[in-house]
Amino acid sequence: MVEVTLENVSKYFGQVRAADDISLKVREGELFFLLGPSGCGKTTTLRLVAGFYKPDKGKIYFNGEVINDIPPNKRNVGMVFQNYALWPHMTVYDNIVYGLKVRGISSSLRVKKAKEVLRVVKMEEYTTRYPNQLSGGQQQRIALARALVIEPHVLLLDEPLSNLDAKLRLETREEIKRIQKDLKITTIYVTHDQSEALSMADRIAIMNEGRIEQVGGPREIYSSPANRFVAGFIGETNFLTGKVEELQEAQGLLIVKTRSGEEVYAKFYKQGLSLSEEVMCSIRPEDVRILDEATKGGGGRNIFEAKIQSLSYYGYIEHYLLSALGVELKVTNTNPRDTRYKEGDSVFFTFDPGDVDLFPLK
Amino acid sequence: MDSVKTYLRRSFREADWKAFCLFLLIMAFFGFFIFLPILYVLRGTFFVDGKFTLFYFTLMFQDSFYLESILNSIKIGIAATIISSIISIPLAFLMVRYDFPGKRILQALLLVPLVMPPFVGAIGMKQLFARYGSVNLLLMQLGILSSPIDWFGGGFIGIIVLEALHLYPFLYLSVAAALANIDPTLEEQAENFGASGFRLFRTVTFPLMMPGYLAGATIVFIWAFTDLGTPLIFEYRKVVPPIIFTMSQDISINPMGYALTVFTLIISVIFVVLVRRYGVRRSYEMLGRGHIVPRVRKIGGWKIPLVYLPIVLMVLAAMTPQISVILTSFAQNWFLTVLPTAYTSDYYQIVLSQEITTISIINSLKYSVLSTAIDVLLGITIGYLLARRKFPGKDLLDSTAMLPLAIPGVVIAFGYMSTFSGTPLNPFYDPTVLLILSYSVRRLPYSVRAAYGGFQQTSVSLEEASLGVGASPMRTLFYITLPLIMANVIAGGIMSFSAAMMEVSDSMILANTEKFYPITKAIYSVDLRLGDGPYVASALGIIGTLIITTCLFAANKLLGKSMGELFRA
Repeated sequence: MVEVTLENVSKYFGQVRAADDISLKVREGELFFLLGPSGCGKTTTLRLVAGFYKPDKGKIYFNGEVINDIPPNKRNVGMVFQNYALWPHMTVYDNIVYGLKVRGISSSLRVKKAKEVLRVVKMEEYTTRYPNQLSGGQQQRIALARALVIEPHVLLLDEPLSNLDAKLRLETREEIKRIQKDLKITTIYVTHDQSEALSMADRIAIMNEGRIEQVGGPREIYSSPANRFVAGFIGETNFLTGKVEELQEAQGLLIVKTRSGEEVYAKFYKQGLSLSEEVMCSIRPEDVRILDEATKGGGGRNIFEAKIQSLSYYGYIEHYLLSALGVELKVTNTNPRDTRYKEGDSVFFTFDPGDVDLFPLK
Repeated sequence: MDSVKTYLRRSFREADWKAFCLFLLIMAFFGFFIFLPILYVLRGTFFVDGKFTLFYFTLMFQDSFYLESILNSIKIGIAATIISSIISIPLAFLMVRYDFPGKRILQALLLVPLVMPPFVGAIGMKQLFARYGSVNLLLMQLGILSSPIDWFGGGFIGIIVLEALHLYPFLYLSVAAALANIDPTLEEQAENFGASGFRLFRTVTFPLMMPGYLAGATIVFIWAFTDLGTPLIFEYRKVVPPIIFTMSQDISINPMGYALTVFTLIISVIFVVLVRRYGVRRSYEMLGRGHIVPRVRKIGGWKIPLVYLPIVLMVLAAMTPQISVILTSFAQNWFLTVLPTAYTSDYYQIVLSQEITTISIINSLKYSVLSTAIDVLLGITIGYLLARRKFPGKDLLDSTAMLPLAIPGVVIAFGYMSTFSGTPLNPFYDPTVLLILSYSVRRLPYSVRAAYGGFQQTSVSLEEASLGVGASPMRTLFYITLPLIMANVIAGGIMSFSAAMMEVSDSMILANTEKFYPITKAIYSVDLRLGDGPYVASALGIIGTLIITTCLFAANKLLGKSMGELFRA
């Protein structure tokens, strides 16, 4: 098992910084995700690990050994390309054993290993087919098998599910997760699909404009985003701008006055905010609760009144757009079964001070 | 400032020096065999006795003989292009947009003229249309004519007709490819707005296929404008190429040969450059999204004859030269009669037993195989450099490799004569090397384009996947890349080979001793022979044609529909 380390790695294309001072540690046997919008440098980072690009700065280590100057064909990494890159002039079997042939493995052992890996991806019956005779999902499995059969130090997956339809994508997620856990192989997985990352990852690195914004487990990233970008990129959120009006250190609270003049209470544990500093509040839609009239006026904090602008019903959840706090506030009701509100109704809503994330506005 | 410096330093470090060295080697080759000959021709025109002069270049336009020849050449080029357009645009439209029984066979028949150079066709056509040829005799027997007509217009009209009949397939192929490439939804959208019929064609279809049409038209114009063989067979001397041909034999004396060569080159280059400019500006990405239903209408019942009539007429017209040559090659006695009075296969036996003809077949095969080998090797290398590597001078390599499309055979051949006549490569002594090189240089764009297309169609990730599982770059090249682009490379090679087999201008000018004659020059020289001349020449022409036909069938099998793309200028 291999641990992959990137130390201050940069890669430029002309004037573009595709990867900008990236430092990462991918642990042995971990399923590690690189997540970010398109053009954020996640594929560049993956290709740096694969060896298709050479870093302009910094070092890449496998198990503490610098591999910067090792060409891709000597790194023993298994890569699955977005388009699968199955060789169209070879059968499934030939595609799979190609890497074994290169390694000079005897034909009897090749047959055995190919059989094994095809069983892992559940494609035993397809050995004599050509890639163009396979469906998208089957091609994907063969590409995975081809990468796995060489028993790579690291498995690299570049948006492996993006060419599959929605239903198959969900099934294949589980499949890849199972295989990765069974083989305990260090894996770096690139995607722009956050639900893929949140549901599968051991840890995630969020990337933007060539930089790493945050590294952490799925829960950590979702519930305590490190900055505005992460808060806005992962999940939905409401951003409010305002000024720190009062610090109530004793109660562990601070008060932000929004642009529209309301006072919003937030937990005071993020350090470094001073009085009258401009800040950005992030409140997740599902953290906002619509209140029944009865509970109103209990002296609670963060209780506001608003009109329902629009309401969309999705069966298991319900979205509201409220005009409140100077913005269109998105609210998600996760239990819409007994709702009796309609568009145009006036309602009260609230959220916990602890659910307000604060970021300095620069 | 500093960032600029580090940027430059980085680009210097990132530049691919191995590729750059390869690039320099290839450019050296081009330097010797494209640029140097052109420089020699320019020098011969503008520097006489060591002094710069425009005298000979301007003399061309003042002397009435040269001026008339120049105008004739241009007229032939334009007329052949117009006639080919009138033939090929409707044919391409019918073929691409309609489906009817027998379509594939008709399509193949339409391409038949490609297999025989026009000057061979001219030998047969002379039997049919000469003053006392079959057509006049027939018309006089029927009492329609009282005295024979000069169908060839002293040779001038004969040349135009033969060029058009030989060259329209180039235009047809590139127009058909362009038409097939048009995203049907663009036309459907126009129909949706109410345009239809000719209006739809004029406003949407034609502008969209324009780059393809112009590319084909360039080939037709330059070919007709610079063809040497056909005027020679018609003994029509008042056009530029035969004059250059005559003057190439006394290369050191008359600067007019140089001046005419420069003129031919300038016209061709201007034409190609203009069309390329226009093409770059007007070529649109045709990336249809979603499911596309091609606009092919099935034709059946009473409408079939409507489609068949123009196509069959065209096929018959286009095949007349071929048929006449075949008839001639088997005619034991064909003098002052409509058809031969007796048939024989003697001429084929003569071809296969006489030295001049047997040697010419062997020579042609030898020259063509070697020039094709050079083309394939250079084509793969250049295609690879262009598609896969990054190095300074890439654009220069691209345009140089495509340059031969703009350089007519007479120019290259004349340039070689003047450049190399005092060197060990002297063509008067042994033209083998120069013939091979001139063949390969002229057809190189096909190989480069074929290989480049192959590399482009082959996703880089297929190669990376191979490196990824541990294969070396060499192994990747031989097991992944080359097998994937092989069909393209072979098809490009076959195109080069068949073009070399029937190359006229280079062969006429460079091969001056019988034992080095390729087929084309042998046909010309045998045709001049009294007695059985035209018959034996026809038989030799048919043999050459059979060789090419076989090649083209193979290329078509390999490339399928995309054959038209190869001829794009």
